Amino acid sequence: MSNSFMMLAPVAIFFAVLMVMGFYIQKRSSDARAENYSKDYYIGGRSLGGFVLAMTLVATYSSVSSFLSGPGVAWQKGFGWVYYASTQVVAAFLVLGILGKKMAVVGRKTDSVTAVDIIRNRYQSDLLATISAVVIIVFFTTQMIGQFVGGAQIFSAATGLSYKSGLIIFAVVVVLYTTVGGFNAVAITDTACAVMMLIGMFCLAYAIITKGGGINNIMATINEASKTARATGQGFDMVSPTSSNSIPVQLFITQWMLCGVCTIGLPQTNVRCLAYKDTKSVHRAMMYGTIVVGAMMIGMHLLGVLSRGVLTSIPEGASTDTVVPVLISQYMHPVLAGLTIIGPLAATMSTISSLLIAGSSAVVKDIYLHHKEAKKEQVNQNFVGKISIGMTGIMGIAAVLLSINPPDIIVWINLFAFGGLQAAFFWIFLLGLFWKKANKTGALWCIIGGLGSYIFVYVTGITIGAFHNILIGIAVGFICFIIGTNIGKPVDEKVGRIFFPEKY
Amino acid sequence: MNKMSYKEKFVQMNKEAKATWIVAAVIIIFWWLAGFGVYGAFGFGLTILGMPAWFVLSCFGSWILSIVLVAYLIKKVYKDFELDDDEFSAENKSGKENTDE
Repeated sequence: MSNSFMMLAPVAIFFAVLMVMGFYIQKRSSDARAENYSKDYYIGGRSLGGFVLAMTLVATYSSVSSFLSGPGVAWQKGFGWVYYASTQVVAAFLVLGILGKKMAVVGRKTDSVTAVDIIRNRYQSDLLATISAVVIIVFFTTQMIGQFVGGAQIFSAATGLSYKSGLIIFAVVVVLYTTVGGFNAVAITDTACAVMMLIGMFCLAYAIITKGGGINNIMATINEASKTARATGQGFDMVSPTSSNSIPVQLFITQWMLCGVCTIGLPQTNVRCLAYKDTKSVHRAMMYGTIVVGAMMIGMHLLGVLSRGVLTSIPEGASTDTVVPVLISQYMHPVLAGLTIIGPLAATMSTISSLLIAGSSAVVKDIYLHHKEAKKEQVNQNFVGKISIGMTGIMGIAAVLLSINPPDIIVWINLFAFGGLQAAFFWIFLLGLFWKKANKTGALWCIIGGLGSYIFVYVTGITIGAFHNILIGIAVGFICFIIGTNIGKPVDEKVGRIFFPEKY
Repeated sequence: MNKMSYKEKFVQMNKEAKATWIVAAVIIIFWWLAGFGVYGAFGFGLTILGMPAWFVLSCFGSWILSIVLVAYLIKKVYKDFELDDDEFSAENKSGKENTDE
C-alpha cells in the first residue's frame, strides 16, 4: 500500500499540473475566443513557437505502442526491432519540411482551421470534405479507445489498481484538460508530456543498466540467447537485423512507408502545420523534433532489448506488452517507478488529447459550422464555444465508456486506423499541394479506392508476400487518383491562383 | 526575413520540399547500407560499445545524419518569409467568397 502510494504521488502531481495548465489556458484565451472561437479553440490562434510545435508533434506521434508494445517486442526480437523502429527518425522533419510551410501559407490565405478545411478549399468539394470528416471521426475515436485501453492497462499493471479505476483516473484528467483548454492546452500539455517521456526513459535506462550489471553483462546475456537461437532454431537471433528472419526485408520497406514517409498524411499531425507562428518556428521545430523523435524511438526500443539482461524470461503465454510494466514495478524504487510510469501515460495522454481535439473539430467545424455557413446563417461565437466544448466532452466521455469493455469491432478497426488514415489522406495532401492538375474527382476516387482497398485486404486477409498492406492502400489510392483526375474537370483558376500561383 | 511576393514564396516552398525529399532519400540509403550492408559484410561479430556495429551505425548513425542534414537544410535551403500575405489580403477576401460555394 505504501509502495503504491509512493508510486502514485508523482503521477498525481503530474496530473494536477496538466489540469492547472488546461484551466489556466482557458482563462487566458477568453478574449481571443470571444472574437473567433474556433480559430482559438481548434488551432490556438496560430501562435505555436518552435519548441512547442516540435514537442506536440512528437508527443502526438509517439503513442502507447512506442512505450509499451514496441519495447516489449524488442525485448523478444532484439536489435532488429530497434532497426525496424528507427525508420521513424524522418517523421518529424518530413511533415514540416514538405507540407509545413505550404499548409501554413494557404491555410492563412483561405482562413483554414482544420485539415479538412484545407481539403475543402483545395478540391472545392463538400462531398469529399464530409467523407474526410467522417473518416477522421471514425478512426480517431477508435484510436482514442485503443490508447485509453493501453494507458489503463499500463497504469493498472504498474500500480496494482484495477483496470477500471486506472482508466477512469487518467481518462478524466485528459478529457477535462483537452475540453476546457482546447488546442493550446493540448500543445502545452503535449510539451509537458514529451519532457516527462524523456525523463521516464532516462530513469528506465538507469534502472536497466544498473540492475543488468552494466552494458557488457547485458550484452553477454543477449549474445548467449542469440547463440542458442542460431544453434537450435528456438527463439530469435537478437543480434541480426532480421531477427532470425522474423522481420523480413519486405516488412522493412513497408515500414518506411507506414511509419516514415506516409505519416505526412496523418491529419492529427499535419493539422499542426496550420498552428505555428512563423517560419523560424517551423525551422526550429524540425531540428528539435528530429532530435527528440530519434532519441525517443531508438532509445525506448533499445531499452527494450537491453532489458533482456534484467528480465530473462516472462511467464509462459504472457504478452510481451507486460515487459515494461514489470520492469517499472519490480525493478525500480517506488518513487522512481512513479516518475517513470508517467512516461508511457504521458505518451498515451498526449496522443488522446490531439485525437480528441481534432475529432471534435471535424464534427463542429467541418460538418456543423460549414452547414451553417452554407445556409448563410450567422453563428454566435458564444454558442460556437458551447458546442465546441460540449462536443469535445461528449466524444471524450463516449470514448472512455467504450474503453471499459471495448466492443470487438472497435478493437478491430483500431488495428488498421493508423494505416487507414494514411491510405485515405497521403495523396490528397501531397498531390493537392504539389500537383496543380489534381482535382476533386481524383481525390474522391483516391479516398474511396485507397481506403476501400486497404479495408478490403484487411477483411479478406489478402497480402502481397511479406509486405505490409499499406503498400496496397497507397498504390491503389495513387492509381485511382491519377485516373480520376484525368477524367474529372480541371481545377478552376481561382483555386489555382491560391494554391499554385507559380503556375500563372 | 526575406520580402517575397506570394508567387515567389511558392517557388521557394517547392524548392524546399524537393530538398527535403532528397534528404529523406539520402537517410534511407544510408540506413540501408549501414544496417543490412554492414551486417552483410561483418556479421554480428563487429561491435561498437559492446553492441553490434550494424545496429549502432544504422540507428544512431541515421539519427545523427538526420540532425546534420536538417541543420544543413535550415542553414542553406530554407528561407524565412512572412506566412501572412498582406499585399494580397484584399484580393483574398473577394476571392474567398467565390471559392466557398
